[in-house]
Amino acid sequence: MIEVPSDPTQQAATALAAEPAIRREDGARRALGLVLRIVAPLASILALWYLAIYFSALPAFVIPRPERVLQTLVNDRSFITVHLVETLKVATIGFILSNVVGIGLAVLFLAFPIGRQIIMPAAITLRNMPYVALVTVLVLAFGDSLGSKVTIVVLAGFFPVLVNTSRGLQAADPVALDRMRVLNASWLETFLHVRLPYALPFIVSAQEITGSGSIIVAIAAEWMISSTGLGYIINRAMQQYRGDQVYAVAFLAALLSFGVYALVHFIGERLNWQSAQTDRA
Amino acid sequence: MSEPISIRGVTRRFGRTLALDTVDLEVAAGEFVALVGPSGCGKTTLLRIAADLVAPTTGEVRIGDAPPAQARRSRLLGFVSQRPAVLPWKRAVDDVAFTQRITGRRGFAPADLLRDFGLKGHEEKRPAQLSGGMVQRVNIASAIAHDPQVLLMDEPFAALDEMKREEIGDWFATELQVRPKTVLFVTHHIDEAVILADRIVVFSAAPGRILEVVQVRRPRPRGPEFRQDSVFVETAAHIRGLLFARGGVPA
Repeated sequence: MIEVPSDPTQQAATALAAEPAIRREDGARRALGLVLRIVAPLASILALWYLAIYFSALPAFVIPRPERVLQTLVNDRSFITVHLVETLKVATIGFILSNVVGIGLAVLFLAFPIGRQIIMPAAITLRNMPYVALVTVLVLAFGDSLGSKVTIVVLAGFFPVLVNTSRGLQAADPVALDRMRVLNASWLETFLHVRLPYALPFIVSAQEITGSGSIIVAIAAEWMISSTGLGYIINRAMQQYRGDQVYAVAFLAALLSFGVYALVHFIGERLNWQSAQTDRA
Repeated sequence: MSEPISIRGVTRRFGRTLALDTVDLEVAAGEFVALVGPSGCGKTTLLRIAADLVAPTTGEVRIGDAPPAQARRSRLLGFVSQRPAVLPWKRAVDDVAFTQRITGRRGFAPADLLRDFGLKGHEEKRPAQLSGGMVQRVNIASAIAHDPQVLLMDEPFAALDEMKREEIGDWFATELQVRPKTVLFVTHHIDEAVILADRIVVFSAAPGRILEVVQVRRPRPRGPEFRQDSVFVETAAHIRGLLFARGGVPA
């Protein structure tokens, strides 16, 4: 049986003493959860990797062991870094231009709805054309240049930005728009104070797509046409039967892409009024 | 100075549906006119036409001696929407101040207005942190913050509890004595209309037509004791009779 202290102050003291114990337990559980969240995915990936090596019986240049890939990352780090910088350059410029084009067109369509009728069919056509065909034309026109690679990234990236931003700009509450009209607000005031904040969550989710996509598309473009960048390393490594290098670059690219996604998500949460809204006082 | 509102032969169609059928109404400067009628009778549409949010199909509305668009440009209008038009990311006090920033008119001090509407201590909260009734009170404050000469109110107190409804009704009654404004006030609440308004326009069911314009024979402002007054009882009963006789249930 549990002994209940009869004195109220003693009761309070017992409760106080119990509280840190609960908190400590809470902290331990949280630490365990964090470890599990990091360790569990890594462990499962490694387990699958080793199982694949064991059961597929493929040669090491097709499926190298994880430790070999890690070793390559360390040994070839200066070589990889040079090309990583190239890829980042293409991806970053492409990402920024995707936003300039995507958001720019969305705002243009809002201000001049006729623009949507004129430009949207062309945008959709571009979107649905096989990139390989576009790449061929671009290479014929501009060769292996920064411009042609950035163009490919932008062609792949602007569309989600355009569609999401457009939808976001239309998502403003009609009652709030009525309010702005009755108050005789200018187009710019309505845009800045009502339409844009309502569109922000949509624009952020577009960044999550285009941000990580830019890196993947940049690598694909390099793989096809370039003599620099991570894509080029993959291409070269394949010809030299350097599976370890392919994996090293793939690992790096995945990490990078994930990092960009996480960063965009983090910034987006801070900009987003919907998440600011829920922190009830 | 407040402006008269003149509604002449206004009809409005939405597709094939006739929402308003030839409405004629003269509202004097500084007069408080309530619009009552069954749901869907076009009261809100008439208010939106006066606010230059909807164009009439035929006929015209004039505020002062100009069309509503001109009144809007001169920032004479205050429109209290039934659903809150507050911005979800703005704190209450900022939302009220925002109206003043856009109009460039400093009417009421935002903090005072919020205090008058029972929101003291909630000035720094965003809509999601407030109850529905509180958000609607912020909405009313934001809609009138620039002290407009013409108030167009669409069931402004519908989301408020009975006590707050009376408190804010009293606030308007007092305020209108100090600074007269022309008011068009849509409501489903017959008692509220009789207490607040000079005249009550009773609409028929759709398509909305004016059945009768009822004068409340007692000067404003009217205190709580007016509810016991025979004028109140008779006027309210008369309006109920008009609405129920036509089969239009005042929703």
